Amino acid sequence: MTPGWWLRQRHYFLYIVREFTALPLALWLLWLLFEIHRAAGGPKAFYASGSPAFIAFSVVCLGFALYHSYTFLSLAGVIINIKVAGKPVPSRLIVLSQFAAWAIASLVIAAALIGFAR
Amino acid sequence: MNHDAEHVQKPAIAHLIWWFLFAQGGVIAAILLPVHILVQGILGPLGIVQVVDRHYDTWANVIGNPIVKLYLLVLIAFPFFHFAHRLRYLLVDLGVPAARSIPAQVIFYGGAIVVTLVTIWVLLTTVPIG
Repeated sequence: MTPGWWLRQRHYFLYIVREFTALPLALWLLWLLFEIHRAAGGPKAFYASGSPAFIAFSVVCLGFALYHSYTFLSLAGVIINIKVAGKPVPSRLIVLSQFAAWAIASLVIAAALIGFAR
Repeated sequence: MNHDAEHVQKPAIAHLIWWFLFAQGGVIAAILLPVHILVQGILGPLGIVQVVDRHYDTWANVIGNPIVKLYLLVLIAFPFFHFAHRLRYLLVDLGVPAARSIPAQVIFYGGAIVVTLVTIWVLLTTVPIG
């Protein structure tokens, strides 16, 4: 393979982007771990991240996170083979169920994160 | 990778574990992570909605709960096994064959184990249970 092979075709480029999503997502989770740890110092030492740089970082991470979700959950239709009453479940239905699970989980988590703020 | 016939059983089980962690971590990151980033990383800091981690009282109250601690462990630790695998292969794909080596595997998967241990430590020492 020659250097920069992945820049020559859109398909290769998107493949590399998919692999790369791991880095920003890892950094964001490390931030979350840090945010948890900050509560160890008690109420006086605690502060919540809110700088424009942090928000911009999160916006970038959200883009990569959505791309990871979209590509990973779409793959489920290829990987998962389930038979119901002897007939294979169509892969479109499996993918749809994955996206439905994502939507429901997102609503529940958003409700918890906002609801417990009171 | 060792494909000798007499070693087939052991590596297969090891692969099963790593593949389980890789797949599980991928699913957890895909389904749980975007909403955390959106709410805690963007909407909360912008003040669009009230979010639990913006104030010490509500945040400490939530992360002191053992079920929340277990959830946060799953949310943070599992994806790192997925990330470790992806980033190692990203390096291979970008022309770093050394990323295939055993030391590289120890560094990447060992890194995921270290993150898991640190997460357990942080969760147990921050607003301890009881």
